[in-house]
Amino acid sequence: MKKYLSNRKAIIVFCLPAIILFCVFIFVPILQVFYYSFFDWDGVNQATFVGLANYKRLLLKDPVFKTANLNGFKFGVVITVYQLVLATIFAIAVSDKRIRFRKFFRTAYFIPVVLSVTVVCQLWGNVLNADNGLLNTLMSRLGINWSQNWLNDRNTAIYTVAFVNAWQWMGYQFALIVAGIKSIGEDFYEAAEIDGATSLKAHWYITLPLLKDTFNFCLLISVTGGIKAFSEIDIMTGGGPGNATYTLTYIMYNYAFGRQKFGYGLTSSAVLVIECLVIILALNWLFKDRENPLFSRRKGVEIV
Amino acid sequence: MKKFLCILLAAMMVIGCASAMAEEKIKLQIYAQYADDDTKVPYDYAVEKLAEAYPNVELELIPQAQDDGATLLALATAGKLPDIYQTGSGIVTTLRNSKQMMVINDVAEKTGFLEKVYETEKQYMIADDGNMYAFPYAGQEYVLWFVNNALFEQYNVEIPTTYDELIAAAEVFNANGIVPMALFGQEGWISAAMYDAIATRYITAGIKGLDNGATSIEDEAYLKAAEDLVKLAKAGVFQAAVTTTNYDQASEMFLGGKAAMFLNGQWYIEDATKALGDDVTWIAYPSYDEASYEAGKHAFSGGGGSISGYAVNPDSPNAELAAEVAAFISEKYCEAKVTLRNNPLVAVNTGLTNDQLPKMMQDLVAEMPNMTSTTAFTWGLTNTTLANAIGVAGQSLLSGQYEAQEVIDQLTFELGW
Repeated sequence: MKKYLSNRKAIIVFCLPAIILFCVFIFVPILQVFYYSFFDWDGVNQATFVGLANYKRLLLKDPVFKTANLNGFKFGVVITVYQLVLATIFAIAVSDKRIRFRKFFRTAYFIPVVLSVTVVCQLWGNVLNADNGLLNTLMSRLGINWSQNWLNDRNTAIYTVAFVNAWQWMGYQFALIVAGIKSIGEDFYEAAEIDGATSLKAHWYITLPLLKDTFNFCLLISVTGGIKAFSEIDIMTGGGPGNATYTLTYIMYNYAFGRQKFGYGLTSSAVLVIECLVIILALNWLFKDRENPLFSRRKGVEIV
Repeated sequence: MKKFLCILLAAMMVIGCASAMAEEKIKLQIYAQYADDDTKVPYDYAVEKLAEAYPNVELELIPQAQDDGATLLALATAGKLPDIYQTGSGIVTTLRNSKQMMVINDVAEKTGFLEKVYETEKQYMIADDGNMYAFPYAGQEYVLWFVNNALFEQYNVEIPTTYDELIAAAEVFNANGIVPMALFGQEGWISAAMYDAIATRYITAGIKGLDNGATSIEDEAYLKAAEDLVKLAKAGVFQAAVTTTNYDQASEMFLGGKAAMFLNGQWYIEDATKALGDDVTWIAYPSYDEASYEAGKHAFSGGGGSISGYAVNPDSPNAELAAEVAAFISEKYCEAKVTLRNNPLVAVNTGLTNDQLPKMMQDLVAEMPNMTSTTAFTWGLTNTTLANAIGVAGQSLLSGQYEAQEVIDQLTFELGW
């Protein structure tokens, strides 16, 4: 193995295909996004260089930019809290050998992930319809006078859509956390049991800290998934009412394909790329393997 | 024996190849509307007739997405436009500049299509550079305010002429579990049409004035119209889920007798008549007072004409044939609309007449000479930013959750590009 790792040519040969694919399909398009964000371009004809005009307009003048960022933040918070908390609880539960029907629950929690986004959105759209949706009708039949305009209220529609996303993709994070838990050796728990730790304490002091890398990845995908949310918004609210559920991705779509303003749309994408990068760096810093406030405090703490 | 078998096999191969070549059809991709009876019936009719006139041509349909041209633009950006595609005004300039839209002058003349186009439509068919880019089939179309008379009679409600009457009617309908006005506000164009219908009570140019520069969004009329629409929305004139309701849902409400009013183009007359018979009719748009109602009775939203219809991708390997087929299809659409959809408002004079027009269509045809003004549908607007932004603005107003000034300010910002 050492021989192979010291052979630079072999490393280059094996890595090159992946690097080329990454560059062609990820890196070059990202560079193009930044490049065209400095142009006035309809997506088809010759682009005109406009310098920073698109950025000035988007960042300093466009009121929808603020709405979109706020929506991205709200979306990210909802799906992160919902998915991480529930996925962790469910994953710990189904990893406990005392729980019956563990296989059934593992499959059940993952089912929404394999469904098409369109199907899920149509399903929830029917449940949440303000006029004749299942939820409002059910509440009405039960005599609960709390019918809501779930998808048409400019202040709350984004939370509803975020919930639908969180519901569907929770199973994905659940699967990651279950895999993470499985990789933790049984001897940790046996030692804890010998020390007299309860099941709850064992999970608190062993499972959670050892899932640090898994949580880092889960957080990354849920937070960035929140700020770049699109599919559910497009299908369920179309960005509406008005522009109440716009995100940066939706601005990009609306300007590029709805108004033939690709330059401006790509400016929104460029800002989104920067935001995602900043978040990734921040999370990686937060989860860095060193003495940090999130995970170090439990080191050396006696379990009992 | 071996020689004989070899010759036999070779002969069979030659015959097989020859017959395959003879049967090989030319496939043309077509991006066309195919969503409801008004779009399916003409398409199916045209395909049937095409099989007789062009037996060697086979159409491969790509149903048009209801996305205000977004998919078409994406196809153009990727250089993957189909051979024939349905186009609206907004994208014509972009695609003709990028040479992705064929100049059809010669084909229009050669096929005799141009001769058959009504004079009133020719002005829209010819672009500002003097060329023709699309074979039209739709004539002047209008936004109609449909009402279910039976429901008005059942609940003893007067047909509204003013917004106060409309709000009073809405109260009665809402109290009885009837949606006063079903609107498919999920779609930008109808949200814009609703706003436009109200704006025409103040300024007859409506949203078309914003497109051709005759008016400005900062004109007081547009703010007043926005205020009126917010007032109607807050009073419960529209269903609660108006901004997420699609066409099928809204139409089902109206045709199923669960909604008293409905807004749509005149092409809906056929479906409405089939479902509701004599109970359905269209009315002049209500207004903010009696005087303005009377004054604007003959001012309509919609109409206006536009460069729209079937365009051809010049990069198609069968571009010339595709252009001929596009002309043929457009003409057959007109035939189907006149004879099968009872809609005589078409672009091409097919020589066919229909003396069985529904009452509503007869009324509309009778009204046409009296029309004092028309505006435009969003697909007839040349300013793509306006076409998109006015739909979003209309939806904001329909929700009743935005202040009129806030929406106008946003529009002012977006139109000041």
